[in-house]
Amino acid sequence: MNMTRAWSLVTSLCLILLLAGLLLKNGILLAVVLPYLLFSLIPFWRRTEEPHLIIERRLEPQYLWGGQPCRMTLSIQNVGNDLEEISLADVLPAGLRVEGDLTYHGMLQAGQTERLFSTGRGVRGKYEFSGVKVSTNDLLGMYRHEKFVPSVGTLAVLPAMERLERLKISPRRTRVYTGVIRSRESGAGVEFFGTRAYVPGDPLRHLNWKAGARWDLLITNLFEQERVADVGIILDARSVVEVTADGESLFEHSVRAAASLAEHFLREGNRVGLLIYGTMIEWTFPGYGKQQRVRILAALAKAELGEHAVFKELEHLPTRLFPSESQIVLVSPLLRGDVPMLRYLHALGYRALVISPDPIAFEKRSLPQDECAVLAEGIARMERNATLSKLRRASVNVVEWDVTTPLRIPMKQAMVGVKRWSVG
Amino acid sequence: MVRWVKRLAAVGNGILIFALFYHGHTRVAIIGGLLNLAWAVDEWFPSDIRRFLRPWALVINTAFLAYGILNGGPSVLALFLAGGSLFAWNAGLFLERWGDAPLTIQYRYLRQVGALTALGFLGGFSAVALQGHLAFFFFPPLLLMLAAGFLWLRIISKALKNKNPG
Repeated sequence: MNMTRAWSLVTSLCLILLLAGLLLKNGILLAVVLPYLLFSLIPFWRRTEEPHLIIERRLEPQYLWGGQPCRMTLSIQNVGNDLEEISLADVLPAGLRVEGDLTYHGMLQAGQTERLFSTGRGVRGKYEFSGVKVSTNDLLGMYRHEKFVPSVGTLAVLPAMERLERLKISPRRTRVYTGVIRSRESGAGVEFFGTRAYVPGDPLRHLNWKAGARWDLLITNLFEQERVADVGIILDARSVVEVTADGESLFEHSVRAAASLAEHFLREGNRVGLLIYGTMIEWTFPGYGKQQRVRILAALAKAELGEHAVFKELEHLPTRLFPSESQIVLVSPLLRGDVPMLRYLHALGYRALVISPDPIAFEKRSLPQDECAVLAEGIARMERNATLSKLRRASVNVVEWDVTTPLRIPMKQAMVGVKRWSVG
Repeated sequence: MVRWVKRLAAVGNGILIFALFYHGHTRVAIIGGLLNLAWAVDEWFPSDIRRFLRPWALVINTAFLAYGILNGGPSVLALFLAGGSLFAWNAGLFLERWGDAPLTIQYRYLRQVGALTALGFLGGFSAVALQGHLAFFFFPPLLLMLAAGFLWLRIISKALKNKNPG
């Protein structure tokens, strides 16, 4: 129990009057002390027990897209005695915009339940609710109890995504399940793979009559099996690659690209894992389907830029997390020093595809168009082109992405005319 | 409702100060009267000024009543002024916290603060009467003391009941 400032004031006046009365031996002054004395004794008469509340929080839905509203309900039940005056204020996580009032001020009788409703909106991120600040006092305002009642909850605002068209990837190894990625093995499929001599049991409708007439043999067509593959998406969250322009972050575009790619590969039935490489390694174990999509999007929702001496270069990328000879997609603006690691990945048998948001075009928008800026852009562009050329020469497919355009456009342009075996 | 009661109390305080100091201390009477009139309508002022005015109005009223007593002013008026000042000050506090309180809460509040102020006033009045400063007979002070004692017991019994609701 804490006495309020009002109590301090009235008690001080009481003591001053009492002292004056005693010093001046004035009985009337002493008599006048009585009303003040009664006010200052109030906290000692009233009960002083703490409020006993059960607070439940409900967030619907817990996962939402940027801009989508979340209905937040706070249910407060008084399981103690009557509370004459109670003030409740929800401690909201920073950055969350709330429409509606998550505060309560009033009386709460024993057993009474009060519900507060509001709507929250936020930008990409994870919002942690900790609890509610509770303050109770008597009606006269002479004493106050302050308490923090924990009521946890997590709201994840998922990153925005865009729908991508079919991407040509061809990892060296595929999984056993049927999918859309060519497996380089003959079997049931739709794409022509080759021919061989007919053996009894081959379906007659696969006979290649033209080839048979030419070689005077029974020749049967072979088809390429299409299967699902392991895809590992790596999001580069190192602070050193971050560029901001006009208050906008290039990292947010990288997150959007990673989310779009994950959604695309999962939709095609692949097994997808996510690695966020920044302050530490955040690994979402590979999986299939909608649940994995939620897992990956939740991980992307809380992805943040970080700086760590160990992860300053890509060389500490934990390659063992990814199944051997699988497809790796790196989303990164790229640094010159990243080339050796990507070459190494290729040497290990991984197929690497790099989606590189263009930091130069991104930053250029916010710079004045003077000679210096043009010169600086030219130098930076030359350096970047050199880096990308090195990667392409090492058979790493690179998609350079100006973030002002939808990702599907550079993806489509990069895939057109690329030979199947050299892609990715 | 509390707002109007508070206004009445503040205006009453102004009148009491005016009556206490009109003879001999006209300037004090005018200043005190105006201060309490301003206090009566303090919700028209910005909240910073209101928060500043409320405790100082109580302090100044208390100083005035002490000065009045020491100058041989009527003790009953001083007692009324003490009760009225405490009442208006506490009602102002309540309105600051809970300006739109439902009527049931307002009644409950007025009952509590009214009982406390009445008890304090009656206690003080009895004390003054017992000191022989009032030209009353024996029975009126006795009755007042009994009333004060009754109120006191009621408050204590309520407090005990609240402590042990079972």
